[in-house]
Amino acid sequence: MRDSISVARLGIPSVALVTEEFWPQGDFFANSSGMPAVPRVKLPHPVAGTGEDKMAEVASEITPSIVEFLSS
Amino acid sequence: MSLLEAASEHDALERLHQLGCTDGLPVVIPTADRVARMVLSTGYEPDLVLGVMGPLYGAATIEKVATAAVMAGCLPDHIPVVVAAIRAVCQPEFDLTEMQATTHCTAPLMIVCGPARNACGEIASGFGAMGPGHRANASIGRALRLAMINIGGARPGSSDMALHGHPGKFTYCIAEDEENSPFPGLHTTFGYEPDESAVIITGAEAPHSTFFTGDRDDPASVEALLDVIALVMANPGSNNVHLRNGAITVIMNPDHTEVIKRAGLSRQDVQAELASRATISVGTMRRISPTFYSQTMQNDNEAVSDEAADEDRIHVLKDPDRILVLQAGGSGLYTMVMPSWCAGPHQNAVVHAGIELDQACEIPGMNDLTT
Repeated sequence: MRDSISVARLGIPSVALVTEEFWPQGDFFANSSGMPAVPRVKLPHPVAGTGEDKMAEVASEITPSIVEFLSS
Repeated sequence: MSLLEAASEHDALERLHQLGCTDGLPVVIPTADRVARMVLSTGYEPDLVLGVMGPLYGAATIEKVATAAVMAGCLPDHIPVVVAAIRAVCQPEFDLTEMQATTHCTAPLMIVCGPARNACGEIASGFGAMGPGHRANASIGRALRLAMINIGGARPGSSDMALHGHPGKFTYCIAEDEENSPFPGLHTTFGYEPDESAVIITGAEAPHSTFFTGDRDDPASVEALLDVIALVMANPGSNNVHLRNGAITVIMNPDHTEVIKRAGLSRQDVQAELASRATISVGTMRRISPTFYSQTMQNDNEAVSDEAADEDRIHVLKDPDRILVLQAGGSGLYTMVMPSWCAGPHQNAVVHAGIELDQACEIPGMNDLTT
């Protein structure tokens, strides 16, 4: 979240990828950083260690959202 | 700073619990009068900002810090250490925001050195120094935690994502046993004079007990002591092994430092020996952390080639100065080793701040904050 916020502050489009377990923390950081609307996409939790097939599945699910945020 | 109202201290305590402003234990209610008296004892203006505490990015003003100190049960005598600790953790190198938010079990371990150990409420350095039962240690460490909660905004499960928490997140404060130690004060290694006071803070796991029984007739005894400490430092489950380059704290009891003293080793010698001995095999890391560890080594420009033998050894720490070696605790068989988190932009570096004993005001009757 902090990386995404830092990049957004530089005027570069960014999207934070946040797992559902960490979604409240993402909200917290977005609000405390004064950027409550910073784009973020929700991932299932966990992602790490779930295997390449699962990673590919998640990637294909979230890619349209990422592209949409970066295009808007 | 907003002022809450309650019909009684009991109601006020319940309200503070409901608001998530406590550590789960009862606190001293920070009434306006108590906070004002604590502010007065600091010798500073209430709106002086000591730093910014993330992830809430709250300004750590003297008034807010004094509020945390009152809630923690601090006496005005303790406040110079609390103020120094806030200054220390707000230094960028400590990565406080990231540390508060991490899933790892890390807590700021405060090591108090110099005359403040006695001037600020007899901060314990002997038997059971890490608690329970020592008011100054308990209150000072707790004040930092309550500041991290209420100024920094750390709330378990929403902004503080430590998976299991850490008992040291209630309070984690000791003094160095300088009088009985063969080493100079730890603060002198950070540039302070022996008669100055400082708090040194490192993000630390809970203490890992390290058993060693010496043999005065065996000249190799010191080798065994250094080896067993190094083995605990190289615990393959710790972040220090997987991420490298963090700090490791080694708190030796008087019997163990006596072995060091008899062998004629200085603190720097001990640091160098431990850094040299704390290793793990390439094969172990290949087996337990094949991808993560490979990336860590690449980041350090020490990539292990595919040709490296499984029995080749990798050092856990590159820099011996990142091993904090000090004496505390009672006489006996155990040294304590605290691994660290090692992450964040600065690897959660060890930080320190001078304790200003001349700044605080001593005012008759001020130590009674129960009224």
